[in-house]
Amino acid sequence: MTTTSRSIPQLGRRAFLRATAAGGAATFLAATRPGTILAAARPGAAAGAPAPAQDAPSGSFRMATWIGYIDVSDEMTYPSLDRFRDETGIEVDYQEVVEGNEEFFASDLRGPLEAGLETGWDVCVLTDWMVQRLSVLGWLESIDTSAMTSYPANLEDSYRTRAWDPENTIAAPWQSGMTGLGYDAAVTGELSSVGELFSDRWAGRLTWLSELNESAGMAAIYNGDDPSTLDQAGFDAALATLTAALDAGIPRRIAGNSYIEDMTTGDVVVAMAWSGDVLGLLVPDQRPDQDFRFTLPVEGGMLFTDNMVIPRGAQNKAAAERFIDWYYIPANAAQVEAYVNYVCPVKGAGEEIRKIDPALAENVLIFPTEEMRARSYDFVSVEPDVRAAWEAAFAETIGL
Amino acid sequence: MFAWLRRHPSATAYLLLAPGILYLALFYVWPTVGMFLVSLETGTIQTGYTQSWNFGVYPQVLGEYWGDFLNSILYGGAATLATFAIGFPLAWFVAFRGGRYKTLLLFLIIAPFFTSFILRTISWKIILADNGFLLGTLKDLGLLPDETRILATPVAVIAGITYNFLPFMTLPLYVALEKIPPSVLEAAQDLYADPLSRLRRVTLPLAMPGVIAGSLLTFIPAVGDFVNAELLGNPRTTMIGNVIQARFLKVSDYPTGAALAFILMAAILTGVLVYARLAGTEELYGARAG
Repeated sequence: MTTTSRSIPQLGRRAFLRATAAGGAATFLAATRPGTILAAARPGAAAGAPAPAQDAPSGSFRMATWIGYIDVSDEMTYPSLDRFRDETGIEVDYQEVVEGNEEFFASDLRGPLEAGLETGWDVCVLTDWMVQRLSVLGWLESIDTSAMTSYPANLEDSYRTRAWDPENTIAAPWQSGMTGLGYDAAVTGELSSVGELFSDRWAGRLTWLSELNESAGMAAIYNGDDPSTLDQAGFDAALATLTAALDAGIPRRIAGNSYIEDMTTGDVVVAMAWSGDVLGLLVPDQRPDQDFRFTLPVEGGMLFTDNMVIPRGAQNKAAAERFIDWYYIPANAAQVEAYVNYVCPVKGAGEEIRKIDPALAENVLIFPTEEMRARSYDFVSVEPDVRAAWEAAFAETIGL
Repeated sequence: MFAWLRRHPSATAYLLLAPGILYLALFYVWPTVGMFLVSLETGTIQTGYTQSWNFGVYPQVLGEYWGDFLNSILYGGAATLATFAIGFPLAWFVAFRGGRYKTLLLFLIIAPFFTSFILRTISWKIILADNGFLLGTLKDLGLLPDETRILATPVAVIAGITYNFLPFMTLPLYVALEKIPPSVLEAAQDLYADPLSRLRRVTLPLAMPGVIAGSLLTFIPAVGDFVNAELLGNPRTTMIGNVIQARFLKVSDYPTGAALAFILMAAILTGVLVYARLAGTEELYGARAG
């Protein structure tokens, strides 16, 4: 038992859901004290000595990411990480401790990075806007792509034009996904409109996401605005929409991933949901009387990309870079993708996934159609001080 | 050294107090002063925070978050009353009817609290789920309408706080009740006091130190609690603890968080002082006349 992903008593995502039952205990703890549950047996000293840059990367590295973002076997191991270890000799201390970007920033990144210390993480999976913030602050290591064979060679073209990362050395996309309607069709019937998220039909049985991009973005779509070009007036209107629904008692909770547990128990039947969660986490464990579905609303939904970044001072940067390059081999990405059901940023993964299960290659949540892409919006990128003001206003709107 | 101490006996007391004072200075006074200074800073996470002696933050946050303060005081107060309503009969029973099972009964009161606070609160989510064991059964029996729910309401938050802080009320009450000599109660009985007047005019006044200690031990942490509101409440039942937690850990808006924490501290301190003045400090400290 040498694999870190085996030897640590981590919970796989289904075990996680079972273990927390109706709770959200672990996600709550992850939000308040990352690693309390999932990283109970955190190995010492960023797991191993720093790798000398000139040699082949070795040792192990620590990766902080979100729940439901990797393949999990029935034995609660991570097959792709085991294969990575077998092929490279590098172990991954994989921790599902990110419940929200802001929470993770506040709990794990800001303190040490501001003090010039290392964070204890070698790879963090964070959303575009948070990556931009970290990049502006100078808190990220540049990804050394010079010796890489797969990254960025196999990066999908749509990610090559990101203005804040023209060389693709700041952030390597891990997954993209859509934010839309997650619902239990057995209770609600077929749903297709973003208006369901603001409808008193589901008052008290509906959740929103605690991320600004998601909740304000969906409210903007509901208002008929384009979230990717949202201005101050549009943002204010989106907050007004959220406030009105909150005053009417429509959302039961505003949370991160923990909406999954609320849907599992049946307390929540409509959720502002992330595409992969519904098929990857909810459907496999649904009861016979439940019928979980995900729909990108006809009016549109939000598009997000979560990226692998290397925080400043990472102990084993070389191993982290080796992993990034390894993930960008299409067959490896396909193995993850076949399980997680998010949008894959790796070219050629479609062909590889067809070999695993031809039906998956037709799954529009993994490979969205052009029409779906057209109504999936990025959230507008604004100046950092505007972003900070929006974050504060959003928090106040949702009562925090 | 010892000779010097013999010449200055009062210095011995200060020397013995020194470790405690040093500890408090390092881990309480210093961070408190630091936090106060943070509350007066302005800036953002990107630009950094600079000291600007912005005292205006206090009225500003009080104006913005008075609703959350109100929630905290209401939920904390209601939970304190509820813990008293449950804890007093419980403590009375253990003290006067517990007999040789007293220790076991006390252990049973405390036993659930050997598990994590979070897990205990999560359990309430399972118990109170809309179609869970409790509500599901009552709905199936036709005793409740289908749309009834307790979770994500103020009732659930108060119930959670009540449960989580019950021992803080029960144990001081038990200690106070246990001290009451049975002869006093017998004397009351001999003087024709019925059970109700015995409770009202003898037991309760003698248990006052426990009542006061218990209510302070419950109310103070309950007002600052955020776990119950986070897990059992809805977006409109946030308590001030939730806002402070979010400002520090989600929004990275430290001045607001620090200012709110100070206002909360001041409010509790004032409340406790008023309470102590009304109730009498002797009882607060557990001393009893004659």
